[in-house]
Amino acid sequence: MQADQQGIVVRQAKVYADANSASGQVGKVAAGTRVSIFERRGGWQEIFSEERSMIGWVRSYQVRESKGGSQVITAQKEDSRGFLSGLAALSRKASGFFTQDNSATSSGTATIGVRGLSEAEINSAQANFEELEKMKKYTSSGKRMTSFVEAGGLNANAVAHIPGTGK
Amino acid sequence: MIGHRQQLLILCLCFLSLVTPGVDAFDLNDLKKQFEGSNKAASESLKIIDQLRGKVSTDDEIEIGAKLTSGLLGASPLVADTRLQHYVNDVGYWVAAQSERNELPWRFGVIQSHGINAFAAPGGYIVVTLGLYQLLENEAQLAAVLAHEISHVVRKHHLKALQKTMKRDLWSDLAVEVVEDKQDRKKVQKLINSGLQLYTTGLDRKYEFEADLRAVVLAARAGYDPYAFLDVLTTIDSINPDSSELTVLMNTHPPITDRLEALARKMDGRLDSYARGVDNADRFRRVASSR
Repeated sequence: MQADQQGIVVRQAKVYADANSASGQVGKVAAGTRVSIFERRGGWQEIFSEERSMIGWVRSYQVRESKGGSQVITAQKEDSRGFLSGLAALSRKASGFFTQDNSATSSGTATIGVRGLSEAEINSAQANFEELEKMKKYTSSGKRMTSFVEAGGLNANAVAHIPGTGK
Repeated sequence: MIGHRQQLLILCLCFLSLVTPGVDAFDLNDLKKQFEGSNKAASESLKIIDQLRGKVSTDDEIEIGAKLTSGLLGASPLVADTRLQHYVNDVGYWVAAQSERNELPWRFGVIQSHGINAFAAPGGYIVVTLGLYQLLENEAQLAAVLAHEISHVVRKHHLKALQKTMKRDLWSDLAVEVVEDKQDRKKVQKLINSGLQLYTTGLDRKYEFEADLRAVVLAARAGYDPYAFLDVLTTIDSINPDSSELTVLMNTHPPITDRLEALARKMDGRLDSYARGVDNADRFRRVASSR
Protein backbone atom coordinates (compact mmCIF):
# COMPACT_ATOMS: atom_id res chain seq x y z
CA MET A 1 0.00 0.00 0.00
CA GLN A 2 1.39 3.36 -0.98
CA ALA A 3 0.72 6.33 1.26
CA ASP A 4 0.47 9.44 -0.85
CA GLN A 5 -0.03 11.94 1.98
CA GLN A 6 1.39 12.82 5.31
CA GLY A 7 -1.03 14.03 7.92
CA ILE A 8 -1.42 15.00 11.50
CA VAL A 9 -4.09 14.03 14.02
CA VAL A 10 -5.81 17.22 15.17
CA ARG A 11 -7.67 15.77 18.12
CA GLN A 12 -7.68 12.43 19.85
CA ALA A 13 -9.25 9.97 17.44
CA LYS A 14 -10.71 6.50 17.74
CA VAL A 15 -9.31 4.22 15.06
CA TYR A 16 -11.70 1.74 13.48
CA ALA A 17 -11.17 -1.40 11.42
CA ASP A 18 -13.20 -0.03 8.52
CA ALA A 19 -14.80 3.21 7.35
CA ASN A 20 -17.75 2.96 9.72
CA SER A 21 -18.04 3.09 13.48
CA ALA A 22 -19.76 -0.33 13.63
CA SER A 23 -16.63 -2.06 12.30
CA GLY A 24 -14.95 -2.17 15.70
CA GLN A 25 -12.36 0.03 17.34
CA VAL A 26 -8.74 -1.00 16.93
CA GLY A 27 -7.23 1.73 19.07
CA LYS A 28 -6.73 5.45 19.59
CA VAL A 29 -4.32 8.06 18.33
CA ALA A 30 -3.49 11.23 20.26
CA ALA A 31 -3.67 14.78 18.94
CA GLY A 32 -0.39 15.71 17.31
CA THR A 33 0.42 12.18 16.11
CA ARG A 34 1.96 12.13 12.65
CA VAL A 35 0.34 9.63 10.32
CA SER A 36 0.36 8.48 6.72
CA ILE A 37 -2.94 8.82 4.91
CA PHE A 38 -3.85 6.10 2.44
CA GLU A 39 -7.38 6.53 1.31
CA ARG A 40 -10.38 8.76 1.80
CA ARG A 41 -13.85 7.29 1.81
CA GLY A 42 -16.87 9.43 2.55
CA GLY A 43 -16.19 11.10 5.88
CA TRP A 44 -13.38 8.69 6.73
CA GLN A 45 -9.65 8.43 6.10
CA GLU A 46 -7.47 5.38 6.37
CA ILE A 47 -4.32 6.14 8.33
CA PHE A 48 -1.14 4.44 9.46
CA SER A 49 0.65 5.49 12.60
CA GLU A 50 4.25 4.31 12.66
CA GLU A 51 4.58 5.44 16.25
CA ARG A 52 1.68 3.26 17.39
CA SER A 53 2.14 0.56 14.73
CA MET A 54 -1.52 0.94 13.98
CA ILE A 55 -3.51 0.99 10.77
CA GLY A 56 -7.20 1.81 10.52
CA TRP A 57 -9.87 4.36 9.78
CA VAL A 58 -10.58 7.67 11.52
CA ARG A 59 -13.11 10.44 10.87
CA SER A 60 -11.78 12.83 8.22
CA TYR A 61 -12.07 15.85 10.48
CA GLN A 62 -9.72 14.27 12.99
CA VAL A 63 -6.80 14.28 10.57
CA ARG A 64 -5.40 17.02 8.39
CA GLU A 65 -3.11 16.60 5.45
CA SER A 66 0.13 18.44 5.97
CA LYS A 67 3.46 19.21 4.44
CA GLY A 68 6.51 19.95 6.51
CA GLY A 69 5.11 18.02 9.44
CA SER A 70 8.16 18.66 11.58
CA GLN A 71 7.25 22.33 11.79
CA VAL A 72 3.86 21.36 13.12
CA ILE A 73 5.41 19.23 15.86
CA THR A 74 7.74 22.08 16.80
CA ALA A 75 4.77 24.40 17.11
CA GLN A 76 3.06 21.95 19.40
CA LYS A 77 6.05 21.83 21.71
CA GLU A 78 6.49 25.57 21.75
CA ASP A 79 2.96 26.37 22.70
CA SER A 80 1.74 25.11 26.03
CA ARG A 81 -1.79 26.43 25.53
CA GLY A 82 -2.68 23.52 23.33
CA PHE A 83 -2.14 22.07 19.96
CA LEU A 84 -4.72 24.08 18.04
CA SER A 85 -3.62 27.46 19.33
CA GLY A 86 -0.06 26.43 18.61
CA LEU A 87 -0.92 25.82 15.01
CA ALA A 88 -2.83 29.05 14.74
CA ALA A 89 0.15 30.94 16.16
CA LEU A 90 2.46 29.24 13.71
CA SER A 91 0.22 30.10 10.82
CA ARG A 92 0.36 33.74 11.75
CA LYS A 93 4.15 33.61 11.88
CA ALA A 94 4.58 31.70 8.64
CA SER A 95 1.60 32.47 6.48
CA GLY A 96 3.31 30.79 3.54
CA PHE A 97 3.01 27.47 5.27
CA PHE A 98 -0.75 27.65 5.43
CA THR A 99 -1.44 28.58 1.86
CA GLN A 100 -4.62 30.57 1.42
CA ASP A 101 -5.05 29.95 -2.27
CA ASN A 102 -7.93 28.40 -4.16
CA SER A 103 -6.29 25.01 -4.24
CA ALA A 104 -6.42 24.81 -0.47
CA THR A 105 -8.54 21.70 -0.62
CA SER A 106 -6.11 19.74 -2.69
CA SER A 107 -3.21 17.91 -1.14
CA GLY A 108 -0.51 19.48 0.92
CA THR A 109 -2.39 22.15 2.79
CA ALA A 110 -3.00 22.18 6.49
CA THR A 111 -5.70 24.47 7.74
CA ILE A 112 -6.79 24.11 11.30
CA GLY A 113 -9.05 26.74 12.75
CA VAL A 114 -7.24 29.25 10.61
CA ARG A 115 -9.98 29.52 8.07
CA GLY A 116 -12.92 28.39 10.12
CA LEU A 117 -15.20 31.07 8.67
CA SER A 118 -15.32 32.91 11.96
CA GLU A 119 -17.84 35.49 13.06
CA ALA A 120 -15.46 38.28 12.13
CA GLU A 121 -14.84 36.81 8.69
CA ILE A 122 -18.54 36.60 7.92
CA ASN A 123 -19.35 40.06 9.22
CA SER A 124 -16.54 41.76 7.32
CA ALA A 125 -16.80 39.71 4.11
CA GLN A 126 -16.38 41.50 0.80
CA ALA A 127 -19.05 40.41 -1.66
CA ASN A 128 -17.71 38.12 -4.37
CA PHE A 129 -20.10 38.37 -7.32
CA GLU A 130 -17.82 36.42 -9.67
CA GLU A 131 -18.00 33.43 -7.35
CA LEU A 132 -21.78 33.81 -7.23
CA GLU A 133 -21.94 33.58 -11.04
CA LYS A 134 -19.80 30.45 -10.87
CA MET A 135 -22.21 28.93 -8.34
CA LYS A 136 -25.15 29.61 -10.67
CA LYS A 137 -23.46 27.57 -13.42
CA TYR A 138 -23.68 24.39 -11.37
CA THR A 139 -27.45 24.58 -11.02
CA SER A 140 -29.17 21.32 -11.84
CA SER A 141 -32.09 20.96 -14.19
CA GLY A 142 -34.94 18.63 -14.90
CA LYS A 143 -32.83 17.03 -17.62
CA ARG A 144 -29.98 16.11 -15.28
CA MET A 145 -32.46 14.86 -12.72
CA THR A 146 -33.75 11.92 -14.75
CA SER A 147 -30.41 10.13 -14.88
CA PHE A 148 -29.46 11.19 -11.35
CA VAL A 149 -32.67 9.82 -9.87
CA GLU A 150 -32.55 6.62 -11.92
CA ALA A 151 -28.90 5.88 -11.19
CA GLY A 152 -29.50 6.49 -7.49
CA GLY A 153 -32.58 4.28 -7.28
CA LEU A 154 -34.51 7.18 -5.77
CA ASN A 155 -38.28 7.16 -5.44
CA ALA A 156 -40.39 10.09 -4.32
CA ASN A 157 -42.89 9.44 -1.51
CA ALA A 158 -45.93 11.42 -0.43
CA VAL A 159 -45.21 12.28 3.19
CA ALA A 160 -47.14 14.83 5.25
CA HIS A 161 -45.28 17.34 7.40
CA ILE A 162 -45.19 16.74 11.13
CA PRO A 163 -48.04 18.69 12.75
CA GLY A 164 -47.02 22.08 14.11
CA THR A 165 -44.22 22.66 11.61
CA GLY A 166 -46.11 24.83 9.11
CA LYS A 167 -47.77 24.11 5.81
CA MET B 1 -59.79 53.65 -14.91
CA ILE B 2 -57.66 55.50 -12.41
CA GLY B 3 -54.62 57.40 -13.71
CA HIS B 4 -51.12 56.48 -12.56
CA ARG B 5 -50.66 59.70 -10.57
CA GLN B 6 -53.91 59.19 -8.78
CA GLN B 7 -52.80 55.65 -7.93
CA LEU B 8 -49.62 56.96 -6.37
CA LEU B 9 -51.60 59.45 -4.36
CA ILE B 10 -53.84 56.68 -3.10
CA LEU B 11 -50.77 54.65 -2.27
CA CYS B 12 -49.36 57.49 -0.21
CA LEU B 13 -52.63 57.77 1.64
CA CYS B 14 -52.61 54.05 2.22
CA PHE B 15 -49.08 54.21 3.57
CA LEU B 16 -50.21 56.91 5.98
CA SER B 17 -53.06 54.69 7.05
CA LEU B 18 -50.58 51.89 7.75
CA VAL B 19 -48.42 54.00 9.98
CA THR B 20 -51.36 55.72 11.65
CA PRO B 21 -52.46 53.97 14.82
CA GLY B 22 -56.05 52.79 14.92
CA VAL B 23 -56.42 52.43 11.17
CA ASP B 24 -56.24 48.85 9.97
CA ALA B 25 -55.15 47.61 6.57
CA PHE B 26 -58.59 46.43 5.55
CA ASP B 27 -58.97 49.24 3.02
CA LEU B 28 -55.69 48.23 1.48
CA ASN B 29 -57.09 44.82 0.64
CA ASP B 30 -60.07 46.38 -1.09
CA LEU B 31 -57.80 48.67 -3.05
CA LYS B 32 -55.59 45.78 -4.07
CA LYS B 33 -58.59 43.87 -5.39
CA GLN B 34 -59.66 46.88 -7.43
CA PHE B 35 -56.22 47.14 -8.99
CA GLU B 36 -55.93 43.48 -9.85
CA GLY B 37 -56.42 42.79 -13.51
CA SER B 38 -56.60 46.47 -14.53
CA ASN B 39 -53.34 47.52 -16.23
CA LYS B 40 -49.54 47.40 -16.16
CA ALA B 41 -49.11 50.52 -14.07
CA ALA B 42 -51.46 49.00 -11.57
CA SER B 43 -49.32 45.88 -11.28
CA GLU B 44 -46.37 48.11 -10.38
CA SER B 45 -48.52 49.74 -7.73
CA LEU B 46 -49.54 46.32 -6.43
CA LYS B 47 -45.88 45.55 -5.94
CA ILE B 48 -45.48 48.70 -3.86
CA ILE B 49 -48.52 47.79 -1.80
CA ASP B 50 -47.01 44.39 -1.08
CA GLN B 51 -43.72 45.99 -0.05
CA LEU B 52 -45.57 48.37 2.24
CA ARG B 53 -47.22 45.42 3.92
CA GLY B 54 -43.88 43.69 4.35
CA LYS B 55 -44.40 41.21 1.52
CA VAL B 56 -41.49 40.68 -0.82
CA SER B 57 -41.83 39.49 -4.39
CA THR B 58 -40.04 36.26 -5.31
CA ASP B 59 -37.75 38.21 -7.66
CA ASP B 60 -36.74 40.55 -4.85
CA GLU B 61 -36.28 37.62 -2.50
CA ILE B 62 -33.92 35.97 -4.99
CA GLU B 63 -31.97 39.24 -5.41
CA ILE B 64 -31.60 39.60 -1.64
CA GLY B 65 -30.43 35.98 -1.41
CA ALA B 66 -27.91 36.54 -4.22
CA LYS B 67 -26.39 39.49 -2.37
CA LEU B 68 -26.07 37.65 0.92
CA THR B 69 -24.61 34.61 -0.84
CA SER B 70 -22.02 36.74 -2.63
CA GLY B 71 -21.03 37.93 0.85
CA LEU B 72 -20.68 34.37 2.15
CA LEU B 73 -18.65 33.47 -0.96
CA GLY B 74 -16.48 36.50 -0.28
CA ALA B 75 -15.70 35.06 3.15
CA SER B 76 -15.02 31.62 1.69
CA PRO B 77 -15.00 30.78 -2.04
CA LEU B 78 -16.33 27.61 -3.66
CA VAL B 79 -14.24 24.45 -3.61
CA ALA B 80 -12.67 24.17 -7.09
CA ASP B 81 -14.21 20.80 -7.91
CA THR B 82 -16.78 20.72 -10.70
CA ARG B 83 -17.86 17.14 -10.04
CA LEU B 84 -18.47 17.83 -6.35
CA GLN B 85 -20.43 21.03 -7.06
CA HIS B 86 -22.62 19.30 -9.65
CA TYR B 87 -23.25 16.40 -7.30
CA VAL B 88 -24.34 18.67 -4.45
CA ASN B 89 -26.61 20.55 -6.86
CA ASP B 90 -28.15 17.29 -8.10
CA VAL B 91 -28.89 16.07 -4.57
CA GLY B 92 -30.16 19.49 -3.50
CA TYR B 93 -32.34 20.01 -6.57
CA TRP B 94 -33.96 16.60 -6.10
CA VAL B 95 -34.73 17.30 -2.43
CA ALA B 96 -35.97 20.83 -3.17
CA ALA B 97 -38.22 19.40 -5.89
CA GLN B 98 -40.13 17.65 -3.08
CA SER B 99 -40.69 20.94 -1.25
CA GLU B 100 -43.52 23.44 -1.39
CA ARG B 101 -41.32 25.91 -3.30
CA ASN B 102 -39.96 23.74 -6.09
CA GLU B 103 -40.31 26.60 -8.58
CA LEU B 104 -37.36 28.54 -7.10
CA PRO B 105 -34.02 28.53 -8.96
CA TRP B 106 -32.32 26.36 -6.30
CA ARG B 107 -28.55 26.72 -6.15
CA PHE B 108 -26.11 24.82 -3.98
CA GLY B 109 -22.40 25.02 -3.34
CA VAL B 110 -19.59 23.68 -1.18
CA ILE B 111 -17.30 26.40 0.16
CA GLN B 112 -13.68 26.02 1.21
CA SER B 113 -14.20 26.81 4.88
CA HIS B 114 -13.14 24.13 7.34
CA GLY B 115 -15.69 25.44 9.81
CA ILE B 116 -18.58 23.01 10.26
CA ASN B 117 -21.73 24.75 9.06
CA ALA B 118 -24.28 25.29 6.30
CA PHE B 119 -26.05 28.47 5.29
CA ALA B 120 -29.30 29.26 3.52
CA ALA B 121 -30.14 32.57 1.88
CA PRO B 122 -33.55 33.74 0.65
CA GLY B 123 -34.59 32.70 -2.84
CA GLY B 124 -32.95 29.26 -2.78
CA TYR B 125 -29.20 29.80 -2.27
CA ILE B 126 -27.55 27.20 -0.05
CA VAL B 127 -23.92 26.67 0.84
CA VAL B 128 -22.30 23.90 2.85
CA THR B 129 -18.78 24.21 4.23
CA LEU B 130 -16.16 21.64 3.25
CA GLY B 131 -15.72 21.06 6.99
CA LEU B 132 -19.29 19.83 7.25
CA TYR B 133 -19.22 17.99 3.93
CA GLN B 134 -16.20 15.96 5.07
CA LEU B 135 -18.09 14.79 8.15
CA LEU B 136 -20.79 13.20 6.01
CA GLU B 137 -20.77 9.52 5.20
CA ASN B 138 -23.34 9.13 2.47
CA GLU B 139 -25.76 10.84 0.10
CA ALA B 140 -28.68 10.51 2.53
CA GLN B 141 -26.77 12.56 5.10
CA LEU B 142 -25.95 15.20 2.50
CA ALA B 143 -29.61 15.27 1.42
CA ALA B 144 -30.67 15.70 5.05
CA VAL B 145 -28.33 18.63 5.67
CA LEU B 146 -29.54 20.31 2.47
CA ALA B 147 -33.16 19.54 3.45
CA HIS B 148 -32.68 21.48 6.70
CA GLU B 149 -31.40 24.52 4.76
CA ILE B 150 -34.08 24.13 2.06
CA SER B 151 -36.69 24.22 4.84
CA HIS B 152 -35.36 27.58 6.05
CA VAL B 153 -35.89 28.96 2.53
CA VAL B 154 -39.31 27.36 2.06
CA ARG B 155 -40.52 28.87 5.34
CA LYS B 156 -38.74 32.20 4.58
CA HIS B 157 -37.03 32.16 7.97
CA HIS B 158 -34.12 34.38 6.97
CA LEU B 159 -36.36 36.77 5.09
CA LYS B 160 -38.56 37.21 8.16
CA ALA B 161 -35.54 37.68 10.41
CA LEU B 162 -34.00 40.28 8.07
CA GLN B 163 -37.26 42.20 7.94
CA LYS B 164 -37.31 42.22 11.71
CA THR B 165 -33.71 43.20 12.32
CA MET B 166 -32.83 45.54 9.45
CA LYS B 167 -34.09 49.06 9.20
CA ARG B 168 -36.91 49.48 6.71
CA ASP B 169 -34.99 51.70 4.28
CA LEU B 170 -31.89 49.47 4.32
CA TRP B 171 -34.03 46.40 3.89
CA SER B 172 -35.78 47.55 0.73
CA ASP B 173 -32.45 48.62 -0.80
CA LEU B 174 -31.12 45.08 -0.49
CA ALA B 175 -33.47 44.04 -3.26
CA VAL B 176 -32.12 46.66 -5.67
CA GLU B 177 -29.87 45.24 -8.37
CA VAL B 178 -26.19 46.12 -8.18
CA VAL B 179 -24.98 48.77 -10.59
CA GLU B 180 -21.43 49.61 -11.58
CA ASP B 181 -21.38 52.93 -9.78
CA LYS B 182 -18.63 53.00 -7.14
CA GLN B 183 -20.66 54.86 -4.54
CA ASP B 184 -23.57 52.47 -5.00
CA ARG B 185 -21.27 49.48 -4.69
CA LYS B 186 -20.01 50.79 -1.38
CA LYS B 187 -23.56 51.25 -0.20
CA VAL B 188 -24.51 47.76 -1.34
CA GLN B 189 -21.46 46.31 0.43
CA LYS B 190 -22.57 47.98 3.65
CA LEU B 191 -26.04 46.52 3.23
CA ILE B 192 -24.64 43.05 2.60
CA ASN B 193 -22.52 43.21 5.75
CA SER B 194 -25.52 44.35 7.70
CA GLY B 195 -27.52 41.38 6.36
CA LEU B 196 -24.67 38.92 6.92
CA GLN B 197 -24.77 39.60 10.66
CA LEU B 198 -27.79 37.31 10.69
CA TYR B 199 -25.46 34.38 10.03
CA THR B 200 -23.47 35.04 13.17
CA THR B 201 -26.35 35.97 15.47
CA GLY B 202 -28.54 33.14 14.21
CA LEU B 203 -32.24 32.61 13.72
CA ASP B 204 -34.87 32.24 16.39
CA ARG B 205 -34.39 28.79 17.96
CA LYS B 206 -37.96 27.79 17.03
CA TYR B 207 -37.07 28.21 13.35
CA GLU B 208 -34.17 25.78 13.77
CA PHE B 209 -36.36 23.14 15.39
CA GLU B 210 -38.94 23.64 12.63
CA ALA B 211 -36.29 23.24 9.91
CA ASP B 212 -35.07 20.03 11.61
CA LEU B 213 -38.55 18.52 11.65
CA ARG B 214 -39.30 19.54 8.07
CA ALA B 215 -35.88 18.24 6.93
CA VAL B 216 -36.58 14.65 7.96
CA VAL B 217 -39.91 14.75 6.11
CA LEU B 218 -38.28 16.20 2.98
CA ALA B 219 -35.59 13.51 3.12
CA ALA B 220 -38.28 10.80 3.35
CA ARG B 221 -40.18 12.39 0.45
CA ALA B 222 -36.99 12.28 -1.63
CA GLY B 223 -36.59 8.56 -0.93
CA TYR B 224 -33.75 8.82 1.59
CA ASP B 225 -33.53 7.41 5.09
CA PRO B 226 -34.78 10.32 7.24
CA TYR B 227 -32.71 9.10 10.19
CA ALA B 228 -29.60 10.11 8.25
CA PHE B 229 -30.16 13.62 9.60
CA LEU B 230 -29.94 12.34 13.17
CA ASP B 231 -26.73 10.54 12.22
CA VAL B 232 -25.24 13.86 11.11
CA LEU B 233 -26.26 15.56 14.35
CA THR B 234 -24.81 12.66 16.33
CA THR B 235 -21.51 13.00 14.46
CA ILE B 236 -21.39 16.74 15.17
CA ASP B 237 -22.23 16.05 18.79
CA SER B 238 -19.16 13.82 19.07
CA ILE B 239 -16.86 16.73 18.23
CA ASN B 240 -15.47 18.86 21.02
CA PRO B 241 -17.98 21.78 21.16
CA ASP B 242 -15.14 24.17 22.00
CA SER B 243 -13.29 23.49 18.76
CA SER B 244 -13.00 26.54 16.52
CA GLU B 245 -14.68 24.74 13.61
CA LEU B 246 -17.92 24.63 15.56
CA THR B 247 -17.97 28.13 17.09
CA VAL B 248 -20.45 29.73 14.69
CA LEU B 249 -22.72 26.67 14.46
CA MET B 250 -22.91 26.33 18.25
CA ASN B 251 -23.53 30.07 18.71
CA THR B 252 -26.39 30.10 16.24
CA HIS B 253 -28.19 26.81 16.86
CA PRO B 254 -29.84 25.10 19.83
CA PRO B 255 -27.68 22.47 21.59
CA ILE B 256 -27.37 19.32 19.47
CA THR B 257 -28.74 17.09 22.23
CA ASP B 258 -31.90 19.26 22.42
CA ARG B 259 -32.34 18.97 18.67
CA LEU B 260 -31.88 15.19 18.71
CA GLU B 261 -34.30 14.87 21.58
CA ALA B 262 -36.94 17.06 19.88
CA LEU B 263 -36.57 15.14 16.61
CA ALA B 264 -36.96 11.74 18.24
CA ARG B 265 -39.97 12.90 20.27
CA LYS B 266 -41.83 14.61 17.41
CA MET B 267 -41.00 12.01 14.76
CA ASP B 268 -42.45 9.46 17.18
CA GLY B 269 -41.94 6.59 14.77
CA ARG B 270 -44.12 8.16 12.08
CA LEU B 271 -41.28 8.06 9.54
CA ASP B 272 -40.06 4.58 10.44
CA SER B 273 -41.43 3.04 7.26
CA TYR B 274 -39.06 5.29 5.27
CA ALA B 275 -35.97 4.30 7.26
CA ARG B 276 -35.12 1.76 4.59
CA GLY B 277 -34.67 4.59 2.11
CA VAL B 278 -31.46 4.59 0.12
CA ASP B 279 -28.23 6.14 1.40
CA ASN B 280 -26.25 5.86 -1.86
CA ALA B 281 -23.00 5.60 0.08
CA ASP B 282 -21.16 4.24 -2.96
CA ARG B 283 -22.08 7.16 -5.18
CA PHE B 284 -21.16 9.58 -2.38
CA ARG B 285 -17.76 7.90 -1.93
CA ARG B 286 -17.04 7.95 -5.65
CA VAL B 287 -17.46 11.74 -5.71
CA ALA B 288 -15.41 12.15 -2.53
CA SER B 289 -12.58 9.90 -3.71
CA SER B 290 -12.29 11.69 -7.05
CA ARG B 291 -11.13 14.76 -5.17
